Amino acid sequence: MRRLAIAFVSATLLTSAFAGAQSKSSVPRSADGHPDLSGVWQGGSTTPGNWEEANGGTGVGGTGRNPNAPVVLSSNDRPAGREGAPYQEWAAKKVLESYNRRGIDDPTAQCLPGGIPRSVTLGLFPQQFVQTPTQVVILYEYMNVFRVVPFTATHPEDIIPSYMGNSIARWEGDTLVVDVVGFNDKTWLSGTGTFHSDQLHITERYTRVSKDRIDYEVTMVDPKVLTKPWKLTSSLMLREGTKLEEYICAENNLDPGRYDKLLKDGVKFTR
Amino acid sequence: MIHALLLLAVLHHSFGAEYDINQPITLTGTLTAIEWTNPHTHFYVDVKDAKGNVVNWKFEGYNPSVLVRTGWRKDVTMKVGDVITVFGWRARDGGTWAHSREITLPNGKKMFFGPPAGTGDGGNAPAVEVK
Repeated sequence: MRRLAIAFVSATLLTSAFAGAQSKSSVPRSADGHPDLSGVWQGGSTTPGNWEEANGGTGVGGTGRNPNAPVVLSSNDRPAGREGAPYQEWAAKKVLESYNRRGIDDPTAQCLPGGIPRSVTLGLFPQQFVQTPTQVVILYEYMNVFRVVPFTATHPEDIIPSYMGNSIARWEGDTLVVDVVGFNDKTWLSGTGTFHSDQLHITERYTRVSKDRIDYEVTMVDPKVLTKPWKLTSSLMLREGTKLEEYICAENNLDPGRYDKLLKDGVKFTR
Repeated sequence: MIHALLLLAVLHHSFGAEYDINQPITLTGTLTAIEWTNPHTHFYVDVKDAKGNVVNWKFEGYNPSVLVRTGWRKDVTMKVGDVITVFGWRARDGGTWAHSREITLPNGKKMFFGPPAGTGDGGNAPAVEVK
C-alpha cells in the first residue's frame, strides 16, 4: 500500500513537473529570448470560452445566464473580502461621496479614458499588445486609447500630464515591468470614486505564465491621497481570433444629460 | 497588502443612477428603430398599453462591439417590424424608457442585449472602509 502511495505521489510530482515545464515552454518568445506578449487579451476573467461564458456566471458586467442574476462585481466594485483602499481620511470621504451618488461623477460617463489600472483590468472590451524589440504598444478598445511603452531607463523631461500617463518598460527576468508617471488627476483607479492626484506613480508587472494567461500586478503610490502603496493583482486572458473594434464614446453619449435631468427633477437615486 | 481583482467588467455608466432595480419590466411590441451607436445601442418598440393606446418605448443596451461578439448582427438578428419581447428595468424617472437585458426574438430565441442590473454603480461596498 505504502509503495503504491509513493508511486502515486511520484507520478503526481512527475505529472506536475511536466505540466509546469509544458506551461512555461508554451509561452511564445521573441527573437531576443524575452516572452512575447503580443496578442489580443481580455481582462477581468480567467474563464475560457465565448464572450458570454467568459463574462457570465452570476452577473458582473457580462452576459450571465440568468437575466435576474444579481451583479457581483463590476470594475467599480470592491471584491468581497478585499480590504479598503488605503486612502487618507479626507480622501476616503470623497471616495465615499462618489459611491453614495452611484458613481454619477465617473469620468468614463463623460467618455473620458479609463486610465490605469482600470483600462487593464476591465472585461468585455479587449486590449492588444504589439511587442517589438524596442517598444510595446498597447491598444485599448475601451475609449479608443493607446500606450506607447519604450524599453528605456528614464522618462522624458517634457511630459504632458495625461489620462494614460507616460510609460517606460524593462525586463526583470521573464516579467515586463512598466513604470508609469505623468498622469493628470482625471481618472479612477479601481472602484467607484477612487480618484488620485497628479503625483500618481504606478508600477505594473506583466508575467506571461502560459500561452493563454498574463498575470498582472499593479502598485499605486500617491502621497497626496493614499496612506501607503496600494497593490492589486489581476490577469489577462488570451483572446485568439478577436479583433479590436472602434469605440467612439462621444458619438451618442446621453448619460450626462440624463443625470442633469434626474438631479434637476429631484429623482432619488442616491443610496 | 495585495488584493486580487477578478471578474471585473465595466459599463460606460452607472446602472443605479438611471435605472431602478426594483422596477423590472417585460414588454412586447413592434420594433420601430435601432440605433447602433456608442457608448450604447438603443432601440424603440411600439407597445400597446391597457387602453389600447400605442406607446413608443426606448431601450438601452450594450455597445455594438460587445453585441457583435455575443452573436448579434446589425439589421439581421432583429429588424424593424419584428415583434419582440423585452425584459429589463425602468428608468428612475418613470418615463417610457428602460434598460434592456434580454430580448425574445420572433423565432423564440432569447438573447442578451444589455448587462444585468447594477453594473457600474459601486456594488454592495465602497472601495474604502466605512467607519
